[in-house]
Amino acid sequence: MKDADVSRQIQQMIRFIRQEAEEKANEISVAAEEEFNIEKLQLLEAEKRKIRQEYERKAKQIDVRRKIEYSTQLNAARIKVLQAQDDAMGSMKDAAKKGLLRVSNDKKVYKKLLKDMIVQGLLRLREPSVLLRCRESDRKLVESLIEEAKKEYSEKASMQSPKISLDDRVYLPPPPKNGAVDSHEPYCSGGVVLASEDGKIVLENTLDARLDVIFRQKLPEACKEAPVRLNNITAI
Amino acid sequence: MDPFKGQGGIQMLLIAEQEAQHIVSNARNLRTQRLKQAKDEVEREAAQYRSHMEDEYQKLISENTGSSGSNVKRLEEETDAKIKNLKKSTSKISSEVVDMLLKYVTNIKT
Repeated sequence: MKDADVSRQIQQMIRFIRQEAEEKANEISVAAEEEFNIEKLQLLEAEKRKIRQEYERKAKQIDVRRKIEYSTQLNAARIKVLQAQDDAMGSMKDAAKKGLLRVSNDKKVYKKLLKDMIVQGLLRLREPSVLLRCRESDRKLVESLIEEAKKEYSEKASMQSPKISLDDRVYLPPPPKNGAVDSHEPYCSGGVVLASEDGKIVLENTLDARLDVIFRQKLPEACKEAPVRLNNITAI
Repeated sequence: MDPFKGQGGIQMLLIAEQEAQHIVSNARNLRTQRLKQAKDEVEREAAQYRSHMEDEYQKLISENTGSSGSNVKRLEEETDAKIKNLKKSTSKISSEVVDMLLKYVTNIKT
């Protein structure tokens, strides 16, 4: 029975080897399935997170882009309104400038205005000696008004009559041509510029300068006022 | 011991051992395949998920385009209305304002 024993032992060993292998294989298989599931979940979660973050970023970009776009358009809209306001103001000022032409073309009215502007200038400067500059077309008129203005100044200021030198070399610009108040050429609608003898103090008392000052100071007020209250506004 | 029988026995054991190695080796290969399968499935499911997100994203773009359009339209309408009102009120007071300006310009206090 020795051969039989050997044969039996060999068969037993063979079975054992196979059994071990199959157990090992089974173990690997079970572990593999576990790893499969874990791996899959982890990979999928990581991938989804990546994708989600990507799309969150893109969505955020849409939002930012939309806000920028709206902000840009809102800004453009505001500028448009401001431009319309500016245009409206410009129209009124142009209309007023044209009105100035009518004023200076009215000889009687303009004569008085000119004298009053000279007197006012003298009162403001309170200088013993004054240089006066006017439009060339106003020269004769101004010459005819100087003595009267000096006298009026003396009375009002209780001061000695000042010396007034009419600048006969440099004149203020001429009236606007063809009533073109929007041209870029310098023009003067009327009035005078007075300066102290040393030239350090200059008072610009032209219709245009007065309009500029009043436009900046009074127009915002005027636009807030109800129309019926305009008549109650006291003069400057 | 019979040399033939001994040789045969050893041979059988070697064969069994090899087969065992194959069994284990196959299991390991299947494991590797399974892991690769996991990656493949993840790629497939991720692609589906991405496709879903892309659809949502495109929907979002459409909505924003629509709302942007209506926002722009509303903004334009509001702006035009403001400007229209401005022109109306300006034309109402324009001549009065101009007269007032001229009044100030020509009212010279001395």
